[in-house]
Amino acid sequence: MISLKKRFLAELIGTFFLVYIGAGAAVITLMISGGATPPNPFNIGIGTLGGLGDWLAIGLAFGLTVTVLIYAIGHISGCHINPAVTLGLWATKKFPSNEVIPYIVAQLIGASIASFAFAASVGMQAVTVGGLGATTPFEGIGYFQAILVEIIGTFLLMMVIMGSAVDKRAAPGFAGIAIGFTVAGVITTIGNITGASINPARTFGPYLADLILGGNNLWNYFPIYVIGPIVGAVLAAFIYDYISSEDVLYKKEVIREREQ
Amino acid sequence: MKCYMCALEGKDTDALAICIVCGMGICKDHLIHEKVEIWEGSFPFPSKKHEKPLPRFLCEWCYEAFQSG
Repeated sequence: MISLKKRFLAELIGTFFLVYIGAGAAVITLMISGGATPPNPFNIGIGTLGGLGDWLAIGLAFGLTVTVLIYAIGHISGCHINPAVTLGLWATKKFPSNEVIPYIVAQLIGASIASFAFAASVGMQAVTVGGLGATTPFEGIGYFQAILVEIIGTFLLMMVIMGSAVDKRAAPGFAGIAIGFTVAGVITTIGNITGASINPARTFGPYLADLILGGNNLWNYFPIYVIGPIVGAVLAAFIYDYISSEDVLYKKEVIREREQ
Repeated sequence: MKCYMCALEGKDTDALAICIVCGMGICKDHLIHEKVEIWEGSFPFPSKKHEKPLPRFLCEWCYEAFQSG
C-alpha cells in the first residue's frame, strides 16, 4: 500500500481543490452579483443572477471537482476529502482507526490552504464580498433546522458512496460520476438553506481564513457543520450496511424457497 | 507443440510454453517471462498491491503490444 505520508498529501491536495474550486465558485457568484439588490432577505446574492441556476452552477463546480478527484486520487488515498466520509467508513469498521486523525488533519489543512490561496488569487474582495464561500444558515433557518438539513444532505452523499463504491456488487467505475452528481444535486437544493457544506473541512477552511484575513467570525455556526455531516454520514453507513446485508434464511425458509 | 517463432525462422524446436494472450507455442529462447503487479481496491479505499505479482508467459509480439499499452 502507498505510505500514509503520501496518502496524507493526496488527501490534502484533493481537499485543496475541492475548496478552491467549489467554495471559490460561491465567492465568484457573490462577486458577480455584487451591487445587485436581492429581492428578499432569503437571497444573499447567490440566486440574484439566475435563481436556482446559481446554486446549480456552484453545485456543479463542487460535483465535477469531486468526480475528477475520485478518478485522480481515489486509488491513492481513497479520496475521502471529507472528515464525515472518513468517520462514516471508520464507524462501520471499513477504515483503520490509526489513520482517521491523519486523514482529517490533511483535509483540514488542504481546505485552509485553499481558502488562503483563493484570497491571494482574487484579492480581499473574496473575503469582504464573498466571505471565501463560508457556509452559514440563511435568513429564517434555525440552528437545529440547519443541523437537520446537513444531516439529510450528508446522509444521501454517504448512502451513494456506500452503494456505488463500497458495496462490491456495485457497477465498477461509475462511483465518481454518481457521487459528483449527488454533490451537485444536494448543493443545488440545500445551498440556500445552510450553504450546503456536507463536509466539515469545506467549512473549516473558509472560517479560518475569514477570521485571520479580517472577514466575519462565523465559528459559532461551526458545530452545525461538524454535527450535521458526521451524524448524517455515520447514520447512512450503518443503515446502508443493514439494508444491503443478505438475510440469514432459516431451514424452513430455505425449503420453502427451493419448493417455489 | 512446436515453437511458432522458430518455425518462422526455419527451425524445428519443441515449445515449452504457450503465450497467455494469443496461445502461440513458444520455446525457451522466444518466451518472455513477465511479472505483472496486481493492485486491488480503489475509491474510497487506497489500493493495495498483491504480495506476489502475476507471472505471465508471453510471445515477443504480445509482449511488445503489452508494453505499448
